[in-house]
Order: sequence, then structure tokens, then C-alpha cells
Amino acid sequence: MDKILLRQFYALLRREVLEHRNLFLGAPAVVAFLILLATIWAANQIPNDQLVLGLEYLAMLFDGLSPFDMASFFMILSIPFMLTLYVCCLVYLINTLYQDRKEMSVLFWQSMPVSNLNTVLSKVVTVVIVAPLFYVAVIFGLYLIAMIWLTVLGYSNDVDLAGLGWLFLAALASLLLIYASTFVATLWLLPTIGWILLFSAFARKTPLLWAGGVFILVGFLEDFAFGTQYLANWVESRAANLNQYLILDFQNVLGRLFNYDMLFGVILGSILIAGAVYMRRFTD
Amino acid sequence: MKDFILKNRYTLLLTTLTLYMAVLVAEGEITGREARIIDFENPFFDFNISNWEDFVDENR
Repeated sequence: MDKILLRQFYALLRREVLEHRNLFLGAPAVVAFLILLATIWAANQIPNDQLVLGLEYLAMLFDGLSPFDMASFFMILSIPFMLTLYVCCLVYLINTLYQDRKEMSVLFWQSMPVSNLNTVLSKVVTVVIVAPLFYVAVIFGLYLIAMIWLTVLGYSNDVDLAGLGWLFLAALASLLLIYASTFVATLWLLPTIGWILLFSAFARKTPLLWAGGVFILVGFLEDFAFGTQYLANWVESRAANLNQYLILDFQNVLGRLFNYDMLFGVILGSILIAGAVYMRRFTD
Repeated sequence: MKDFILKNRYTLLLTTLTLYMAVLVAEGEITGREARIIDFENPFFDFNISNWEDFVDENR
């Protein structure tokens, strides 16, 4: 029975990836292509001897250093990919439950022996676990191309390439940091994920407008009726510090995962996701 | 109770949002979560949004 449930869940995840290939594969590939183009253009502007000097400096800088200590240097390269991931996840979440009802394919999916809970959970798991994997894979491809290019440049200019191996290891270690950052950040944003899913399941039209409008209305009503700003305080505590979305040290991962604010966010997100699960029964 | 909550999408939304806000407010009350006081630093005058009424009175 458990194996059947696992296979069902795996099939649901595959469905999400196949239906949204552009968001999970196409978007990071475009970002990687643009970064590669920009790098090639920038490298063509620099004289060859300065380029070789820069390469020698890079090789010396990383030579012999622990890849896990140097991994955080590559986090700045991951920022465009992480921003793209968050935008794509927003688009995916706001449309995912809404599109099923708009196309009336929800009746087909509900005729399948799959519960609403598994369906909604598959969308959460897609955003938290699966989508970052694709982005990390694309970043790995970009690093591989960059390493091949640097190696060819180094060989053609007689540069000692031993340090580039350490550089590549640090880049690979940074992929783990990037995945950890996106995993922790999406768990941190679970209340937002739940809010968007709830309105994706609720709205008959313009779900994004509903999600934003009701959020503003609830905050306004709270202040108007009770004179308190707990919703605003909560959002401010989650969103004000951008460091909450980046992990620069492997030692921080467990501390960021298991703390009071994260647990409370997961509880709030679960309430909203439960609302989205029950909301899915209304197919009109 | 369950029949009322699941009667239609609007009652379900209202219930979910009420539960969400109740938990949020309870946590805010227990932990004393407060907003940051926004301070605008300006060489010409000092403005603190928590003293809005005093600022209005001073500048009348």
C-alpha cells in the first residue's frame, strides 16, 4: 500500500514537472545563457594578457583551500537564479489550482484515485524540493562550461591549472549551499506559499489580485477594528532581513531549519495549505 | 459546524482566514512581536513615525 502511495506521489510530481517545463527548465536555462553571453562579451573586452593574469590569480587564490570554506564566494552568482526561481514559483503556485478549474480538467483529475491532499502536497513539494534541483542542475551545467573554457584558456596560455581544480570543487560545494538556501527559504516562505495556493484554489478570476487584495484588506481591517498590526509585524519579521534567504555557511543550515520562527511559519503555512486542500472540492 | 465551514467557498475562506489570524494574533500577544519603529534621519529635522502627532503639532 505504501509503495502504491509513493508511486502515486512520484507520478504527481512528474506531472507537475512535465506540465511546467518552461518554468523549471526553460527559465533557468535562459538565465544561464544570458549570463554566459554577458561573460563572453566581457571577456572579449579585456586584453588577452590581462585575462591570463586574472586566470593565474584565480588559480592561486583557490589552490589548496577547502572547497566548503570557499563555496560562499559563488553564492553571488546564484542570486539571478534564485530570483528567477522565486518569480517562477509565484507564477506556478498562483496558476496551478486555478488553471485546473479554468480548463475544467479538475473534474478529470478528481476522478483519479488521488486525494486532494496528495495533489496539493505534490505542488508544495514541487516548489520546495523539486524545482530547486532543476535550477541547481542548470547552474552546474553553467559552471561546467565555464571550467572547460577556463581550462582551454589556461592550456593555450601555459598557465598552471592546479588551482582551477580547487576552484571547480568550491563551485560544486556552492551548489549544495544554493540548494540548502532555496530549500530553507521556501520553507521560510511556507505561509506565503499557502496563501497563494489558497487563493489559487478559491478565485474564479484573477487569483493574484485576490491574494494581494485580501492580504491588504485583512491588514487594514485588523488595524481599523482592533488597533493592532500583528499581520504587518509578522510580515515585517519574515521579509525585512534578506539574509534570511541566503545561507553562506554549511554550519548555519540546521540552526535555520530548527528554530521557533521556522516552526511557527510551518504551522501557519499548514493552516493555509489545509484551506487550499478543502477549497479544491469546489470545482465551479 | 463542519457543514457550515464546507457549505461554500466563501465560508471556507472566511474560516481559514479567521483561524490564520487567530493563531497569528495569539502568537503576537504571547511573544510580544512588535514592528520596527521607522526612523528617518535628516540633517534638517528629526522625524520619528511613532511621534507623528508631536511632529504635526510642532510644524503647525
